[in-house]
Amino acid sequence: MKNGARSAAFALGLALMAAPVHAESAQGFSAAGLYNLANAYARQGKPGMAVLNYQRASLLSPNSPDIDANLSYVRASSHVPAPTRSRFDRVVRIASPFALSWIGVMGLVLVGVGALASALELRHRWMRRLGVLLGICMIGLTVANGIALWPMLHEGVVITAATPVRVSPVPMGDSLFVLPEAETVNIAAEHEGFLLIQTRAGRTGWVSRSNVASVVPRR
Amino acid sequence: MSTRRTHGRWLMAIAGMVLALATPAIADDPLVYATIQPPQIMLGESAMFTITNLGDGTAPITMPVVSGLKFEIVARTRQIELINGTTLPSYATVVRVTPQMAGIFTIPGVTPKSQPVVLQVNSLPGSGGALRPGSPQAPKPPPILAGGSIPKGVRLTEDGSAYVRMSVPKREVYVGESVPFEIEVGMRSGFVTRIGLPKLTGDEITLNSSLLREPERSETMVDGQAFVVLTWHSALLVVKPGSFPLSAVVPLTVKIRTRPRRESALDDQFGDPFWQNFFGASVPKDIDVESPPQELKVMELPAAGRPADFHGAIGTFAIESDISPVKAEVGDPLTLRMRVVGSGTFDRVDSAMLDHVEQWKTYPPKSTFTSNDPMGHKGEKVFEQPLIASKPGIQTLPALSFSYFDPIAKRYETAHSPPLSVTISPSLADSTQMAPQLAGNAAPTSADKSADGLKPDHAPSDISMSSLIPLYLQPRFLALPSLLALAFAAAWVGVRRRKNPAERVAARDRTAWRATKRALAQMEAAARADNPALFFNSARAGLQQALAARWQLVPDEVTAAEVQARLSDDDDIHQVFAFADESRYSGRDLDSTDFARWMRVVRQRLISTQSR
Repeated sequence: MKNGARSAAFALGLALMAAPVHAESAQGFSAAGLYNLANAYARQGKPGMAVLNYQRASLLSPNSPDIDANLSYVRASSHVPAPTRSRFDRVVRIASPFALSWIGVMGLVLVGVGALASALELRHRWMRRLGVLLGICMIGLTVANGIALWPMLHEGVVITAATPVRVSPVPMGDSLFVLPEAETVNIAAEHEGFLLIQTRAGRTGWVSRSNVASVVPRR
Repeated sequence: MSTRRTHGRWLMAIAGMVLALATPAIADDPLVYATIQPPQIMLGESAMFTITNLGDGTAPITMPVVSGLKFEIVARTRQIELINGTTLPSYATVVRVTPQMAGIFTIPGVTPKSQPVVLQVNSLPGSGGALRPGSPQAPKPPPILAGGSIPKGVRLTEDGSAYVRMSVPKREVYVGESVPFEIEVGMRSGFVTRIGLPKLTGDEITLNSSLLREPERSETMVDGQAFVVLTWHSALLVVKPGSFPLSAVVPLTVKIRTRPRRESALDDQFGDPFWQNFFGASVPKDIDVESPPQELKVMELPAAGRPADFHGAIGTFAIESDISPVKAEVGDPLTLRMRVVGSGTFDRVDSAMLDHVEQWKTYPPKSTFTSNDPMGHKGEKVFEQPLIASKPGIQTLPALSFSYFDPIAKRYETAHSPPLSVTISPSLADSTQMAPQLAGNAAPTSADKSADGLKPDHAPSDISMSSLIPLYLQPRFLALPSLLALAFAAAWVGVRRRKNPAERVAARDRTAWRATKRALAQMEAAARADNPALFFNSARAGLQQALAARWQLVPDEVTAAEVQARLSDDDDIHQVFAFADESRYSGRDLDSTDFARWMRVVRQRLISTQSR
């Protein structure tokens, strides 16, 4: 029964996202596929693409020990420091964003039913209140997950070696510094084939879009 | 004392032995060095350049050759020098160095190991106050050169000390055309002490900056006399049409003879400034030497057939183009180059390269010029334009063109380069389609050293998503909780509305009860104040509120007539309304008993009305 409900919810979620608007949509993303792809890139000596796909796999499966282990390994091999995860981040990413989306919907249902029951002045007031409280917690968990994931949705990974960071979004702009491959940066803006990036150290500049891949592909 | 002297002798003996042992090393390696004294002289003076050879004198010595300096060996000496207690033979060659112009000269080393020396030659100061030829005080000096043949195009000054010659390859040019030319200044050795930059006559002519460069130096014989020749190469450009006389003027400071020719026969015999300076036979004088004028005809560029992209380049040019790299990914910057090679006005060689090309992002080009001659007339100008392809596939860039005016053919020409093809592959940054292929082909091998520490692959999953954006941020999914929220809100509002009539009645009753309490309080206050009018007015207002709530009327609609109609059997309420009207116009006295009675009556009626 439980599996049946879960499958139905999953099918509904997929149906809601089904219509492909991009070529990539026809193929789709899966945590296992992205993880295996990242492994393949790592074996080919492409740490940038490997880190990119590990991070994408981590979005779909945030608590996979294999993804975390390989991501750390590739970063260490490339001498790129790994970001530390806060306790808040670990707590709110207890489940995948997909599951948390449905948890949020269930929380909304609980809050709504509780509010209706209160309006109808049904009996079992403590059950009504418990249901509303549980629903609010579930919605809060989903919202917190969104807050935690928001920066990651705007991150990019350097996929080419010695990527020059320029002062302006033009190919002949003066180079400020050079980014190592597999470094993760925050993407602040985009302008005509160039991305305005910020490193973890706070340095900013423009890089060619072909040198940095977004963790969440742009449509 | 004796002991100290003995120790001193021993020390001297030891030092002598050490020096004796060290000496062969010096003797084995002959030392050749050169000195010049004084290192700074005035033009017209001479310096002594001494080459000393500490050795057997067999080391080869090369006599230096410096343009603008004249070297003459005046003596060779042999000496014995005592170095570190050892006697060494030394051979000295004394050379007289006579400058032919002012400047700083570096005399190279006489052997590969010896150091160069520097001689500074200053021009003569105060030449402005020199005697002028032709002034009554100064006798006219005899010409230095007399008779003999002079090369073609050379017109010597009156005293034969210098000449200026200008060479222009063509006499008919176009407005804006760059014409190379050459200015040659010949100066008789030792007679010119200062020379300024040459300039051209005429305001219509502009020169490029190559005239500021150092001129070429050479020596030549003119009519049997040694001349130092300085040659400037430059290019001129005429800005308006017409015919102009063209000549070059060079300011010089020359030394003119102040003694009669017969008294300076020895000077002329040697032609040597050393002797002239020694005897004080000459003074400096500023003169302008001009080349023979030449006629230059300047024509307008024809208006007919002028291409739209003509920017004023005149000359003979050819172009070629290339792009690098020829294989790239989407988003990679490529560099498109156009090389313009030839001769002419490279300042006006310009190109916008490619402006708007479908599926390409273009940037403004930048250019660099490399000259093949000192004038900048011949060379190569390279335009580099960054391009970024926006779509994958085999892309063809259109041909580049460049328009110019050919002064030889006397018409406009447009040079074209062939179209260029580039292979653009999809960018890795955008590609996720390679996942199955790569993952399928990426079985770990022993050669993959980087994969040693990787966790193994996972079993493929059937579950896949169309986007990595979390479901709760996707608009299509957000419709579901939005609809749910709307449905719950609508249901809640519906429930509340269904409960509304009873609530409305209760609210009305609460309002009426509050009005009743307020009216009773006012009545009590009026009774205490012994105010019958206020008492009955308050009683009537309270009854109006209560009855209006009961009859669902506005309180003002509850009048005495309405009460009469609806409550015909209740005399007390009638009387309250009547007393209220009556007390407004006529003072009615009530005692405390009456107040208490009416208070009890009204309270009873109000409470009974509320409870219904």
